[in-house]
Amino acid sequence: MGWEEKQVRGYPEFVQTAQSYHGRPIFALFCGDKDAEGRSWCPDCVTAEPVVRKELPNMPDGSVFIYCLVGDRAYWKDPNNEFRKNLKLTGVPTLLKYGTPQKLVEEECFKPELVRMLFTED
Amino acid sequence: QEAAKYGKKVMVLDFVTPTPLGSSWGLGGTCVNVGCIPKKLMHQAALLGQALQDSRKFGWQFTEEVKHNWMTMTESVQNYIGSLNWGYRVALREKSVTYENAYGEFVGPHTVKATNKRGVEKLYTAEKFLIATGERPRYLGIPGDKEYCISSDDLFSLPYCPGKTLVVGASYVALECAGFLAGLGLDVTVMVRSILLRGFDQEMANKIGEYMEEHGINFIREFVPIKVEQIEEGTPGRLKVTAKSTKGNQIIEGEYNTVLLAIGRDACTRNIGLDKVGVKINEKTGKIPVNDEEQTNVPYIYAIGDILQDKLELTPVAIQAGRLLVQRLYAGATSKCDYVNVPTTVFTPLEYGACGYSEETAMEKFGEENIEVYHSHFWPLEWTVASRDNNKCYAKIICNIKDNERVIGFHVLGPNAGE
Repeated sequence: MGWEEKQVRGYPEFVQTAQSYHGRPIFALFCGDKDAEGRSWCPDCVTAEPVVRKELPNMPDGSVFIYCLVGDRAYWKDPNNEFRKNLKLTGVPTLLKYGTPQKLVEEECFKPELVRMLFTED
Repeated sequence: QEAAKYGKKVMVLDFVTPTPLGSSWGLGGTCVNVGCIPKKLMHQAALLGQALQDSRKFGWQFTEEVKHNWMTMTESVQNYIGSLNWGYRVALREKSVTYENAYGEFVGPHTVKATNKRGVEKLYTAEKFLIATGERPRYLGIPGDKEYCISSDDLFSLPYCPGKTLVVGASYVALECAGFLAGLGLDVTVMVRSILLRGFDQEMANKIGEYMEEHGINFIREFVPIKVEQIEEGTPGRLKVTAKSTKGNQIIEGEYNTVLLAIGRDACTRNIGLDKVGVKINEKTGKIPVNDEEQTNVPYIYAIGDILQDKLELTPVAIQAGRLLVQRLYAGATSKCDYVNVPTTVFTPLEYGACGYSEETAMEKFGEENIEVYHSHFWPLEWTVASRDNNKCYAKIICNIKDNERVIGFHVLGPNAGE
């Protein structure tokens, strides 16, 4: 069955998409918005994305990978934004296994072995 | 992690044999998963219930009925534990420590066999070994114990409220669990074979017991269960417990939803192949004697934590012993772990913090005439307005007259005693 990717932007779209895949393993990568040239305002996200993408084939069969743009820098810096409040995100990039306490934050996302461990952990 | 810091190639084998009822948990050991952490969180849950009652006296107004939801609390606690398990996985990985979720046992000199949950076996060799396998709850050895009773290994992840509970035992585990279960509103009975908190200062132990009794926990003293039968299946079900007096032939029966056994813990040293490498253990207790550098009788095998003979069973002590051991082995350090005067706390409804000698042990060691005890009851300020007991909290210091009245024991019973 392999795995599939969904790209979303903003909190309501993320929640709706995650809920629609209830029952399947869901991994999500949260990054800052990208400009017209496709570059994120978040330099760590730029570094992390290719590392994470390279490890995607290690996700369990039937997994869903949600690539979520959180918003612009000002939105992200607001301590009350929905990602911080509801998902308890503390930084971007964050890579997490939805519905579990398992996550990697910021420089942890640069490390292929950690990403692979998150994807393959029982 | 410490050894990896000094450039050593390190592997950790951690495996949890499920309880008779099937409970298991992740990386981190007893404290994180089925000990200190969930215990203190549930103790806090119970304290918050009490605080809600106290709050009315401080002016807070809310409708009469305040209820507790076991599942909400347990899910939150388990979620936090899950984040700790994950944190350890990341920490080990970042320090290049190889972790295998596999049961390790010695098969020959310098060689262990690791068996994972699918039964796949692998062999590993190493220059040095550190055993830190800890303990597991003891069962009574009576009919129905493994089939129907739970232990602390099951309690903190129990997927249903335990209901009316019989706690068997008088250890700190028994009293702490009985304490928070009652604090959450459950009907709790504690069945005690002889004394409370063996090994702890008995004056303090008795005050703890009195406080619990005055606050709604039933005690059945000088009885032991001889049989547990199931009346009805369920989550929870209904169990019938038959118990016999330790002082005669009297038999009593009682019905409970849950029976929690907390009569002691046994070291996990009997099935790890220690005989294959000649590591001596105390045959009666299963504990491993070590020298003051945590070395067993086999020079390349070390041990730390609860499995050590005649040492303290406390997580921070084990951690400290492990770190110092590694620093001595690989960083040229000389400091040994100091097991004396380690502060510890019992998180019963009225908390008890202690450091040093109990009054009995001090008198035994120094002679009753050489001991001076200064003591006082006290009424915590926060309890005044809340109209709570004014003569229950208590503190004492035990002093050695011959050594300038040096304080050799400190005991305090009251809120936040641990802090």
